Amino acid sequence: MGEQQSVVEVKDLVQKFFLKPVLNGVSLQLFPGECLGIFGLRGSGKTSLLHILAGVDRFSSGTVEVLGCNISKSQQFKQKMGLVTQEPSLFQDLSVMENLDFIAALKNVRQENIGRVTAQLELKEYLRHPITALDVGLYQRLALACALLNSPRLLILDELIKDIDLYSRHLIIKQLKPFLQGGGACICGFSNMDMADFFDRVGWLEYGQLEILAPSQARKKWNNLVDSYQEGAEIE
Amino acid sequence: MTRLNLKIMRRELCYMWRDHGLRNILLFGPLLGLFLFLAIYHAQNISNIPTAIVDLDRSSSSREIVEKMNNAENLKVVAYPTNYHELESQIQRGKIIVGVVIPENFARDVALHRHTQVLLIIDASNTAYATNASTAVLGVTRTISAEAGIKTLISKGMDPAQAQATYLAVDFKEEGWFNPTLNYAYFLVLAMALNLWQQCCTIAASINVIGETGVKSWLQIKAIGVSKLRLFFNKSVIHIITFMLMVIPIYIIAFGIFKLPLACGIGPLFFFTLLFAIALHSLGTLMSSIANNAVDSTRFGMMVALPSFVLSGYTWPIEAMPRFLQSVVWIFPQTWFFQGFNYLSFKNPGWDFMASYFWALIIIALVCYSLTTLITAWMER
Repeated sequence: MGEQQSVVEVKDLVQKFFLKPVLNGVSLQLFPGECLGIFGLRGSGKTSLLHILAGVDRFSSGTVEVLGCNISKSQQFKQKMGLVTQEPSLFQDLSVMENLDFIAALKNVRQENIGRVTAQLELKEYLRHPITALDVGLYQRLALACALLNSPRLLILDELIKDIDLYSRHLIIKQLKPFLQGGGACICGFSNMDMADFFDRVGWLEYGQLEILAPSQARKKWNNLVDSYQEGAEIE
Repeated sequence: MTRLNLKIMRRELCYMWRDHGLRNILLFGPLLGLFLFLAIYHAQNISNIPTAIVDLDRSSSSREIVEKMNNAENLKVVAYPTNYHELESQIQRGKIIVGVVIPENFARDVALHRHTQVLLIIDASNTAYATNASTAVLGVTRTISAEAGIKTLISKGMDPAQAQATYLAVDFKEEGWFNPTLNYAYFLVLAMALNLWQQCCTIAASINVIGETGVKSWLQIKAIGVSKLRLFFNKSVIHIITFMLMVIPIYIIAFGIFKLPLACGIGPLFFFTLLFAIALHSLGTLMSSIANNAVDSTRFGMMVALPSFVLSGYTWPIEAMPRFLQSVVWIFPQTWFFQGFNYLSFKNPGWDFMASYFWALIIIALVCYSLTTLITAWMER
């Protein structure tokens, strides 16, 4: 894996908000075909990290290379990247089809791609629906469909399958598997340790530092944490 | 034009159309304003001004004055109070606007060529009413004064024709130019409808940038890496086209149906309006780039749009404003537009004179759009 060209390479990333460091020297690498989960509780800096990788937010210091581009100097990588944000970020005033159509135009991709992604994520019967009327699972399927429109090599997904219906979750995971098998790479923010087994590696983000763990190690660390607090509560 | 440009424009149209509040304001606001103002000013002038005469003399001479007041244009004698206090009470209660008090012994004093005074009272609490009443009363008093003077000369032995020629030796010939009948409809209706139009446009433009950057979908735009210049250029094209589509029916109704005066022809006025729409849009866009959110931006828009008509000097001369304001008001495109609109609709003074008004709007637009670009780029950092 080490000899492969990395899709994402982050070194000593620092991000500060009003002088307070949110990310304090984060480093990571992501390789083709790999899915890295970024675990952290609310406010840990997951979204900040993912937004920096997506070129949406700037950062204080460090170097970030995505798909071979230094993101401080070039935005070329965006042509081969897809983003699903934690908060709904599709165009609220447009319908499902209009969102797909508009984002396809923004990404400068062919209309045929819309048919492909809507079939993959079973959205065809909802094309005329306003997106404000979609339930969470459908919305996330649409968000992923929009992210997949440009056949990306990197997917950045922030809490994609949190609290959604099982069928939508199944459909989304079903689409991500061939994406990864085809050489795509994926980096996902998550806050529910039950999902850890889905990832190849888990980045544990806490106090601005990122620790890379195997999924089993991450779950063990989580369980130990939960147990330690339960014991503490019993002693009290 | 590329597919992306068209898609951005289409999306902006969808956004404006599906926002019911914005759609109704843009579609109906200025038109309703035009009809409302046409209804208000349909009389064109204030006539039948309620007038009361207190005749304390009850002579043939005083009856002559009463008759002249009865025949005066725009005055309507509706009451004959028996004394001054009764007249005062009626004016206080708003029933009477013009009061005439003819003193006792009026006929005797006139016959003896003594100085006599007829009191004319005008309720000046409403300046529009007061101005019209003054004009109407002035016509009558001039005639009465002239007749009294001629009679005096005749009584001193002068030939009537000679007395008349002597008294009227200097003939003041009045010519009201551009709006000779002082028609309120000509002066105010279209300007006020355009004021409503510019207010709607400013408020709509004031969410141009923040309406995009202040919502979560901005993350999609940033993640895709679309050129902001391209995005906002295409959005702005749709806004300006919409503004112009809003003003076309106003012009058709005003000039085509109600035949309001237009000295310069529709082409120059339309071009001037287009430049104003662009300048207005640039100002709104600038405000939208410095606001923290859409609500703040709309507040900024209203703060500029609402007083701008008064500040434009259309209804109150700029020269009569405080000195510090006289310079400040020219910062606003509304001042250039409404001043220029007055010239174009009534006078058409020619390109040499009007060029500065056209150029001012272009310069304002360039400055505002440039500042917006700098501010937006700085905010992104």
